Amino acid sequence: MTDKRCIIGGVVLLVGSLLLHGCSTPETPKDLLAPTDAQLKIRSMQTRTFDVTDRNAAIRGVIASLQDLGFIIERANEPLGLVTAARFAEPNYYDVISITVTVRQDTKSRLTIRANAIYNNKPIDDPKVYQNFFASLERSLFLTKG
Amino acid sequence: MIRIAVCLASLAMLTGCVTHTEPAELLQLTAETPKHRAMQTRFFETPNEKELLSASAAVLQDLGFQVEESVHEVGFLRATKERSAREYGQYIQRGLLLILSLGKLLNPVDLHQKIAAGLITRPLNQAATKQEVRIVFYRIVWKSDGQVDRQYIPPGQQYMEMIRDPEIYQQFFAKLSKAVFLEAHTI
Repeated sequence: MTDKRCIIGGVVLLVGSLLLHGCSTPETPKDLLAPTDAQLKIRSMQTRTFDVTDRNAAIRGVIASLQDLGFIIERANEPLGLVTAARFAEPNYYDVISITVTVRQDTKSRLTIRANAIYNNKPIDDPKVYQNFFASLERSLFLTKG
Repeated sequence: MIRIAVCLASLAMLTGCVTHTEPAELLQLTAETPKHRAMQTRFFETPNEKELLSASAAVLQDLGFQVEESVHEVGFLRATKERSAREYGQYIQRGLLLILSLGKLLNPVDLHQKIAAGLITRPLNQAATKQEVRIVFYRIVWKSDGQVDRQYIPPGQQYMEMIRDPEIYQQFFAKLSKAVFLEAHTI
């Protein structure tokens, strides 16, 4: 009888400790929000400067090139120069690509355009992808200029 | 035997967890791009971009869409409408599959859909005497529940589809050109 009780007690303790284990929070790493080299690298490949004077035309060029790439424009904000778009990675209909492009006027004749792309909640850090985007953007900006 | 089956099943589950990474050719223009652009775009000989934009909104409203977002500075409109996506064909297929698989396979059917349109107007030349209108239609479909053997598929699974039927675009532009009393030129 006591043996059985002992076993039951042991099982309850074991299950209890297993349950408690799930409650312990993992420790926060100290360098959580510290800037890294990788961040700098990603920022530089996401950014290009253009010798364009017309900021509005540049935003429209960004929208046109996103449409060419099959994106659906979700939001646009002219005063802030923001464009947000998304598309499904056809033919993989369950993968989503979303992109945010910002257009900022540096000087009167220079613009900085930055694109952040995300593939299924994971930031894209492949430089080739951004090169592709800027190649199509350059074409579109060139076309709008004429 | 059971162990092998369990191993295989857990392996199959694991592969399901692997997140897909992006291919390098992402964000590249394809051979299809010019074709899609031609289908989705018309230009109008008018200097009045705002009128074109508000006429587009009116046409979309006529088609039963609700305008959700509009930014006139960049000539942008987004509109959606929700409709049933039920099709008899799918129900017949579902029934046949259920009988053929001896009650083991219950194929999910399309239940509900959200049809959306993104529209952009843009001046084509410096003097802004020509305006381009580009519209993209797409739909998101929600599926019903289903069953494969003993595994239950919960309802609400989504998939998305670009609408690439030229007739839908032609109809929209025909209505728009009537609304602004201008001819819609193809690019």
